[in-house]
Amino acid sequence: MSDRALRIAIAVVAVAGVAVAGYLTYVHYQPDALICTSHGGCETVQKSSYAELAGIPVALLGLLAWSAVLVLVAWDSELARTLVAAVALGAAGFAIYLVTLQAFVIDAWCIWCMVNDLVLVPLLAILAIWRTLRTPEA
Amino acid sequence: MPPKPRKPPPRRPDPRKRNLLIAGAGAALVVAILVVVSVVVAGGGDSGTTTTSGAASSALFDGIPQNGTELGAKNAPVTFIQFEDLQCPICRSYQEDGFSDIVREYVRPGKVKLRFAGIAILGQDSEKALRYALAAANQGKLWEYVAAIYANQGEENTGWVTDDVLERLAKDVGLDWTQLQKDAASAEVTRQAQATAAEAGQLGVPGTPTFFVKIGNGKPYAVQPTSFSIDSFRPIFADALSQ
Repeated sequence: MSDRALRIAIAVVAVAGVAVAGYLTYVHYQPDALICTSHGGCETVQKSSYAELAGIPVALLGLLAWSAVLVLVAWDSELARTLVAAVALGAAGFAIYLVTLQAFVIDAWCIWCMVNDLVLVPLLAILAIWRTLRTPEA
Repeated sequence: MPPKPRKPPPRRPDPRKRNLLIAGAGAALVVAILVVVSVVVAGGGDSGTTTTSGAASSALFDGIPQNGTELGAKNAPVTFIQFEDLQCPICRSYQEDGFSDIVREYVRPGKVKLRFAGIAILGQDSEKALRYALAAANQGKLWEYVAAIYANQGEENTGWVTDDVLERLAKDVGLDWTQLQKDAASAEVTRQAQATAAEAGQLGVPGTPTFFVKIGNGKPYAVQPTSFSIDSFRPIFADALSQ
């Protein structure tokens, strides 16, 4: 896969990430926008004490991280590539922590958090590592 | 004399691997900080549930007629149908926010009657709580009992709807516990629960709480308040009452 294709793939994943994290940030401040569905979990995760980090919603941190990836992927340099990899690896590590919290501490599942933590973040990590390690084009 | 093998030049680290290593180290540091902050700050937070008694809310319903699952005057021109699950924390938010104001402003004066359309979508605790709530209607105290259950709502599907909790709340609101148990196990309660679930399916209820307005004997239509504050419900009722 060419570097251009990888950049586009990362940008697409980041746009999806901005959408999911943006929605979760919105419902954090407007919890009435939520309804309980048969998927369960719903507001329990959003209302748990782990939904914020020192007063900052975790969803907002996610939104900032995804936005940073979007900006960095538009900037074609080795530093930007390394920074995307750093954000991706950091997000992957934190996603593991958040999934563990939902499974063993909060005991409830937030479906949109799972989409972010188990689909988008791993995808970003794979693409970012691939892009960092790939042989440069001649 | 054979030529001396040349010493290979010292291998320079692959810059791509070096970059990934730097990225990984930076990420690990940031994640460690975030997790420590989360565990120390958030982990010390209160994740428990309140256990206030629902009896205090009984005064809200004093003197308002209750007919089965309905609260309010039988001839009220508007019926407000509330699809709710007693385990749903957002239904509880509604109960704690706009619900009391709706009862005071619209139900008590006879403008609107409320209909409890209980459905069990979240799990076994929902089903059990719903059966007992419907059974409480036989003793004319469904609304007091529902308020008490919400006030003592536990974490979803943790088995919080125990006989002990149900009995304590029943006694708090003045229900006959033995009769309540008998009614909760009845075929009539099963029929009611199934009928409401089928109605929810027909109306396309996506989750709880979902609200419908019915004017007279007209067809119910869905309404979506922008928040659970009474200010969000007033235009909905004003519109329905003007028709």
